Amino acid sequence: MAFNVLIVDDSSSMRAVIKKVIKVSGFNVGDYWEAGDGNEALEILSNEWVDLVLSDINMPNMSGLELIRRMQADETLKDIPVVMVTTEGSDEKVNTAKDLGASGYIKKPFLPEEIRMTLCNILGEEVSDERVDNELETGDF
Amino acid sequence: MKESITNLKQATSNVLETMFFEPVQFTGEADTLNDWLCDSQDLVGVTLSFTGSNSGSFVLLLPGSLTKGITANFIGMSEEEIDTNQENDTVKEALNMIGGHMLSLFDTEGKYQLGIPEIISENSFDVFNHKKGQYILMETDQDSLAIGFILD
Repeated sequence: MAFNVLIVDDSSSMRAVIKKVIKVSGFNVGDYWEAGDGNEALEILSNEWVDLVLSDINMPNMSGLELIRRMQADETLKDIPVVMVTTEGSDEKVNTAKDLGASGYIKKPFLPEEIRMTLCNILGEEVSDERVDNELETGDF
Repeated sequence: MKESITNLKQATSNVLETMFFEPVQFTGEADTLNDWLCDSQDLVGVTLSFTGSNSGSFVLLLPGSLTKGITANFIGMSEEEIDTNQENDTVKEALNMIGGHMLSLFDTEGKYQLGIPEIISENSFDVFNHKKGQYILMETDQDSLAIGFILD
């Protein structure tokens, strides 16, 4: 069954990279949604069906940690898994995110297979890394 | 300070190679960019503030030709398809990743905070002629670039 993904990052380039990694990883994705900060993400979450959120932490207007807090406080959103994809790599930040309810944590810079493996663990889907490796050979995700 | 330079070099290499497929060679260090700026043209500059035990800014300066190339590598498009907004966004994200990765190499307790990266106007580049910081000079196959930090 296809799942819908929301990618939250103030960098449009990074959102494009994450989207591309997920696409070539072979996951059965239905719709991709994108947001530039936590406020935009909540707007999308209130109007669209989302099965997975990948979010940066350090963003203007509303951070990724505040986004998780707001989602956890909402009965309709609290069970959506949220994976942090962020430069914030301190143990303190990782623990804070997980205590708030993050399902996974990927530090930038990342290899495509880190996203693939994290999503495999969260979604319970098995996809081959062969496609990711083939795309890597061309210098492309 | 020496450890900071080492961490910055490691972070820069990791980010540029992993995310942008752009290996770099480190060619020198400097406390101002006066000489380097004299030999460089058509530069794109990014700054990123940080606060914590020390406060200041990271800075990244690179030629326009390189920004187009790394943007194409990063988002997987041809250089002809890349526009200025995508280039600016990519170099801001590059410095965001380098700065964050560098801090993560020693800041396990999360004492440092990063700001939001900003493009520097070319009119502001001359501040690096006299403002002392720690700068690392690098080269790719075709271009030279500089990265560093300035403490408040």
